[in-house]
Amino acid sequence: MRPFIFTKPATADQALIKKTNQAQFIAGGTNLLDLMKKHIALPEELLDVTNALPAAITANTKGIRIDAMVRNSAIASQAEVLSQFPLLAKAVLAGASPQIRNMASTAGNLLQRTRCPYFYDTTVPCNKRIPGTGCSAMDGDNRMSAIVGYSNQCVAVHPSDMCIALAALEANVLVTGRDKKQHSIPFKDFHRLPGTTPQLDNNLPANAVITAVEIPGNRFQKNFAYVKVRDRDSYAFALISVAAALHMEAGVISEARLASGGVAHKPWRWYKAEQFLKGKKPSAENFRQAASIAVGETKPLANNKFKTVMLQGAIETALQNCLTA
Amino acid sequence: MGFFDDTISLSAPPEGRVEATAKVTGSGKYSAEYEVASLCHAVLVGSTIPAGIIKSINVGNARQVEGVIDVITHLNRPMVPAFADEAKIKEARFGLPVFHTDKIYFKGQPIAMVIAETLEDATYAASLITAEYAADQFNVDFEKSYKNAELKTAGKDRGTADSWAETPSVVEAEYTIKNEVHNPMEMHATIAHWTAENELKMFDKNQGVNNVQRMFAKLYNIPAEKIHVVSEFVGGGFGSGLRVWPHCLAAVIGAKAVKRPVKLVLTRPQMFTLVGYRPESWQKVKIGADNSGKFTGILHQARHATCVYDNFNEGITRIARLVYNFANLRTESATVPLNLSMPTWMRGPGDCTGDFAIESAIDELSYKLNIDPVQLRLQNLALEKDPDSGKKWSTNFVDECIKLAAEKIQWQNRKAAIGAISDGDWKTGYGMAVGMWNAGRSNASAGIKMLKDGSITVQTAMTDIGTGTGTAMQNIAKDATGISKEKIRIELGNSNLPPAPSQGGSTGLSSISGAVAAAVNALKMKLAGFAAAENDTYKNVVGADIILSDNGISYKTTNQQFVPYSVIWEKNNLQVLEVEASSAPGDERKQLAFCSSAAHFCMVKVNTKTGKIKIEKMVCAADGGTIVNEKAAANQISGAVVGGIGMALMEEQLIDPKLGTAIGNDLAGYHFAVNADAPIVEVIFVNKPDVNSNPSGSKGLGEVGIIGAAAAIANAIYNAIGKRLRDLPITPDKVLMG
Ligand SMILES: Cc1cc2nc3c(=O)[nH]c(=O)nc-3n(C[C@H](O)[C@H](O)[C@H](O)COP(=O)(O)OP(=O)(O)OC[C@H]3O[C@@H](n4cnc5c(N)ncnc54)[C@H](O)[C@@H]3O)c2cc1C
Ligand code: SF4
Repeated sequence: MRPFIFTKPATADQALIKKTNQAQFIAGGTNLLDLMKKHIALPEELLDVTNALPAAITANTKGIRIDAMVRNSAIASQAEVLSQFPLLAKAVLAGASPQIRNMASTAGNLLQRTRCPYFYDTTVPCNKRIPGTGCSAMDGDNRMSAIVGYSNQCVAVHPSDMCIALAALEANVLVTGRDKKQHSIPFKDFHRLPGTTPQLDNNLPANAVITAVEIPGNRFQKNFAYVKVRDRDSYAFALISVAAALHMEAGVISEARLASGGVAHKPWRWYKAEQFLKGKKPSAENFRQAASIAVGETKPLANNKFKTVMLQGAIETALQNCLTA
Repeated sequence: MGFFDDTISLSAPPEGRVEATAKVTGSGKYSAEYEVASLCHAVLVGSTIPAGIIKSINVGNARQVEGVIDVITHLNRPMVPAFADEAKIKEARFGLPVFHTDKIYFKGQPIAMVIAETLEDATYAASLITAEYAADQFNVDFEKSYKNAELKTAGKDRGTADSWAETPSVVEAEYTIKNEVHNPMEMHATIAHWTAENELKMFDKNQGVNNVQRMFAKLYNIPAEKIHVVSEFVGGGFGSGLRVWPHCLAAVIGAKAVKRPVKLVLTRPQMFTLVGYRPESWQKVKIGADNSGKFTGILHQARHATCVYDNFNEGITRIARLVYNFANLRTESATVPLNLSMPTWMRGPGDCTGDFAIESAIDELSYKLNIDPVQLRLQNLALEKDPDSGKKWSTNFVDECIKLAAEKIQWQNRKAAIGAISDGDWKTGYGMAVGMWNAGRSNASAGIKMLKDGSITVQTAMTDIGTGTGTAMQNIAKDATGISKEKIRIELGNSNLPPAPSQGGSTGLSSISGAVAAAVNALKMKLAGFAAAENDTYKNVVGADIILSDNGISYKTTNQQFVPYSVIWEKNNLQVLEVEASSAPGDERKQLAFCSSAAHFCMVKVNTKTGKIKIEKMVCAADGGTIVNEKAAANQISGAVVGGIGMALMEEQLIDPKLGTAIGNDLAGYHFAVNADAPIVEVIFVNKPDVNSNPSGSKGLGEVGIIGAAAAIANAIYNAIGKRLRDLPITPDKVLMG
């Protein structure tokens, strides 16, 4: 690890004043420290934001606000989240391990970097790590890689579980820039596709800080599910994950949300499948068709053809679980 | 509930291990934790290419880092005498001549070592070292290369291939298993300290201190007594500590160079390339049976990867020759040299790989014959004699293992029809397999020190890698002496103690139990010698006549002709009474064959939509002779079974054939089973003594718990969904696409 200066600003303002390209925020450190140990992130200064940023969960008439420093474990056990946004709690609990969730912050979870193994190996080419060097996964081991939305420069996937639920629930990310101006970025616009700039994971303005995530109120308290298919039952990233939420009126689906992890460089919404489900009866056949519509959007790589089959099954299972689980 | 600042009792719970309190409170020291005055820290730098020649190494930037003491490379290292020239290097049989060559054999091969005042300085400086190479062609592609490795017969043929060519039922298929990495929790670490010219002290993580001692005596051409190796607490090994690895020598070279003690701890990524792994393998098995289900013959072929600078053959086909009666048998094997680091023994080496293929094939045969897999096995087991050596088994209770485990899992609930038990998308299946291991025993010594208060310390150089060796020694010493457990201390893992073999191949307990028994006998005789001055009865006794207690010595029954220790100590002006004895297997090993065995039974649920596999039940019934300490023994088995779950469902270290690099080298990406993946493993023991094995009647249990586990799981998956998955690990994608 390269030597660095460590400071712990007391307020968000102080943190922002010190923020430069060489100075990086650190929250739980569960991702950043690993990146530093492997010499992928080489900050000259760490600004520990654990005191500087709030850590409350506040419900209001419009929805709920989860502050940047709320730990993942706190989200998963908070009463308002459990009653009004149960899908979020489910997704959070499917991620990492209890120890990591105790450390991981809301903002850090949004900004965690891909788990593409070549990204972590500084001896091999990777466009995300060093633009222009090439993508080792493209013709290498791309079992875990994307099946949709990738480019010829990067096929990595976004690793978070929590973000899949946030995408499905159409959250907004609140950020404050160095100019102290506050913005609200819709979740669908927060993470990026790789395109020709695979080094950029998201649209957080340079040197801005995330202060909170807001989720608008919804009607998905009853019919929701988070299905995560992974190589082992805990402490493993998703091969495919599906966040599903339905609202039913008079035996018919009036609103549907469907998002996936493990498929793209960002949390991926299956808008067409959602559209298809609207107004339909919640039947196995309709679920199968909705899944097929989603699968129709994908184009797997050499080693991950299985992901389309798995996606089909995972969406069907998630929709089915919305009714029973 | 007690918290950290509460006063807690420091005595081990009654059923706990002798080292439990030391481990849990942190007072027990692992190799990297010893404090040594003026210690400095070393960090290795690996090559970034898999094959070629080092042209130059740029260490300038590293040397600029504050706190850096030295940077060692092949250009400036103090020479290891055994590496003086190419011929000597070969003769030394060390494997990689670390820092004594400019040749690169695998990616990650140590090319430099930074020694600094702190670990942080050394780590940072190491990141600044670059090298230029003349890169060579390399090959790390097992899949593409194995066919080129010519198969050679491995062991004597039985019968002929022709004689079973017309057998009515034959199955024939290929099986593959990917590289698996040991990854014990504790990283390998060495503290090397030249305490005087030609005197070396090492705190080193390993599975055999005498092995390390011998190796360094050879490398530096100094007497073994001048080398002191301590490995008192070991945080897991699984075979990775059976060899002396390059990092260990690097630390010793470093300590010589800087004339200070040097500590070198491998990083987790380095654990993937510098301390061995279970090599990738290919197998083909052909088995035939007549209509009654009697096996007619087997052909077992196997190839596995090795490195280019040394050879390693783990004997995958050995197990084909051991368990069943095959009138006709042929086993063939080959190794495939690749630009990878040296593979090594990993729990159940060879047999666990071979067993997966054979036990899968037998399962397949059972469906073909429409005979229950349990029945098919029972009718073909070689229960009388080791079919290979022709020697009578001393004991072989593998049939009992099968029956016990079948009963426990309620095998009668299994349906022969595929997928007959289902709940929506979830299909339930049952599977079973057996495993066997040669139950070996080696020479070993133990010593006992006794104090006036009747307390004893039992000592051996053997390590305890988490197997419960120390606890078993305490049990054996208690039973053999009559002294209560509270008064028996155990000391091990130190080359100053009576010598013992490495702890591997499930021979630890078998070897050491004989030594402890011999030492107890020596103690009794020595005490009897002193007691004879007080009481004539003791003049002509044998060890078996003597009973010890916490307070003194008696003749044949407790309190008979009692002589208190205090009297002996006072009259003879004793401080400590010391004895040492060794024991070795005798003629019985020439006349009889020895095996440990296990039967694995599994119930799985498989989701046909997502490919998810859930292991619902795992039962293992094992024959390890007399069970000396049930808790530690069951712990061995369940740990091995969980390792088997990892082998079956998730462990795989992939190598990128184009880049020559290990794909991923951390525990986030390399999956082994966690609690969520494993049910509570139900362990049953036959628990019948093998009186010929050793004085305790025990047989080693370290390996059999994993041998057969993977096949039982794969067979259960077949029963659930009708897919015969022959490539490990069976990840959800294979379930869906298979
Ligand atoms: C072995 C392992 C397994 C895991 N498995 C899963 C899994 O299955 N599913 C899953 O979802 N996650 C998983 N995780 C990832 C984990 O959820 C993330 O590491 C965690 O959420 C990151 O949060 P943190 O607070 O520790 O971030 P840090 O490591 O502290 O920071 C991450 C990034 O966010 C930046 N940052 C932090 N706070 C702010 C802020 N307020 N404003 C702007 N920038 C900020 C930092 O500068 C840094 O770049 C796993 C992690 C590990 C190590
Ligand atoms: S997929 Fe992206 S992260 Fe992975 S190697 Fe290619 S460029 Fe790097």
